[in-house]
Amino acid sequence: MFKIEEIIFKTKNLVFNDSIHFPNINIPKNKVTFIVGKSGAGKTTLLKMFNGTLTQSNGDIFYNNTNILDIETIKLRKEVLLISQTVFLFDGTIRDNFKEFYSYRQEKALENSKIKLFLDICHLDFSLEKNCNEMSGGEKQRLYIAIYLSFKPKVIMLDEPTSALDEENSHEIIKNILSFSKENGITVIIVSHDKKLSEVFADNTVLIE
Amino acid sequence: MEGAIQLNIVQFSLVYLLLIIVVAIMKKSNIKKTKLLIVSSIRMSVQLTLAGLILTYILNNPNPVFTLAYLLVMLVFSIYYVLSKNKDINNRFKMTIAMSLLLTCSFMIIFFVMVIVGIDIFNPQYSIPLAGMIIGNSMTGITLAIKVFKENISSEKVKIESLLNLGASPDKILMPYVNNSLETALLPTINSMVGMGIVFLPGMMTGQILSGTLPLTSIMYQVAIMIAICASVCLAIFFSLYFGYKTLYNKRNQITYS
Repeated sequence: MFKIEEIIFKTKNLVFNDSIHFPNINIPKNKVTFIVGKSGAGKTTLLKMFNGTLTQSNGDIFYNNTNILDIETIKLRKEVLLISQTVFLFDGTIRDNFKEFYSYRQEKALENSKIKLFLDICHLDFSLEKNCNEMSGGEKQRLYIAIYLSFKPKVIMLDEPTSALDEENSHEIIKNILSFSKENGITVIIVSHDKKLSEVFADNTVLIE
Repeated sequence: MEGAIQLNIVQFSLVYLLLIIVVAIMKKSNIKKTKLLIVSSIRMSVQLTLAGLILTYILNNPNPVFTLAYLLVMLVFSIYYVLSKNKDINNRFKMTIAMSLLLTCSFMIIFFVMVIVGIDIFNPQYSIPLAGMIIGNSMTGITLAIKVFKENISSEKVKIESLLNLGASPDKILMPYVNNSLETALLPTINSMVGMGIVFLPGMMTGQILSGTLPLTSIMYQVAIMIAICASVCLAIFFSLYFGYKTLYNKRNQITYS
């Protein structure tokens, strides 16, 4: 039996800042969508409009068939989590960082065993007492992804997730993130320059020019 | 006790010679602020002379209208000064700062003159110099607080954006910056109280003693004005930042940095 794909994000005549025009886009639910295109085409801008940190100047975005402008943005951002390209971590240990981020969401901190699970997904074999200032750029990016992933949102948007990683590492980690997402019914949207990555992992590709 | 000895104008002008020493040291240390020093010294002399002349007139011809006008000019100037140092913030933020400075200082002046000293608010001999101390310190405090606040949020954009993406509320994200700026801007006022009486005798007290007031009376005035200044600085900064930071985000919880 053939089942029609459910659409989680849909855009119509979308324009940002009166200058960047987007094609009409459909993002299927529970699938992996890659957004590709030249730099400056507006890929990051699109993700920021999807989580309501930017507002379009024209056109509509629908999230689960509701106009995004009618959704309370804090609730939206918790469901549609954007992991940005620039990494921010607090001073302190891995455990401190989990604690801080959870307190900003006004949620109870994760148990150690659960933190370990997310570190494993991102190939971080460290004690929770490891000081983040002693970590490399790639390790910091992986920790950042691990923390955000641990909130188990409905949609996860990764902006150039592999920018600081080597090829082998990045494929392994993306594979782990995608299988975690599949198990938990998380829709994944990835912006990436890495052609190989999208060839291997994309269920769906959106080209923005 | 008698009033202070009147300064002879020739002897008085000798004090300007001290500036030559400052200029010489600046030249030696490659500090290119000679022009600023000269301009500031001249401005100070001219402004104070004018203030002296106006005050002499007002004191000799006491009239509530004059006192009120003088107080208003001081308040308007202080608002202008703070806003001119912070041109890049949004208009609602500017309005918040102006109102905070105006209301806090007005309240503190009225309270101090009418309750602590216990005389008519329109008495120029009391309300004008006391208002000057309260307004001047509040002005400096707010300027510092807003500067620290702006610098901190714009240098931590990556953090703020990460937390917004996480779904944290702008209130929760910005409040630590509000608290931190208040603390930083309050410290000079609090620290200045610590050394008082041991390291130095504060200006107001020195002035009163020079003009023949009993030291005990001068001390009471000094303690009272210091506490009033501290409260005024604290309240003015608190209101400016507490209501001001709310102008930095919109209904969609998007933060702008000015």
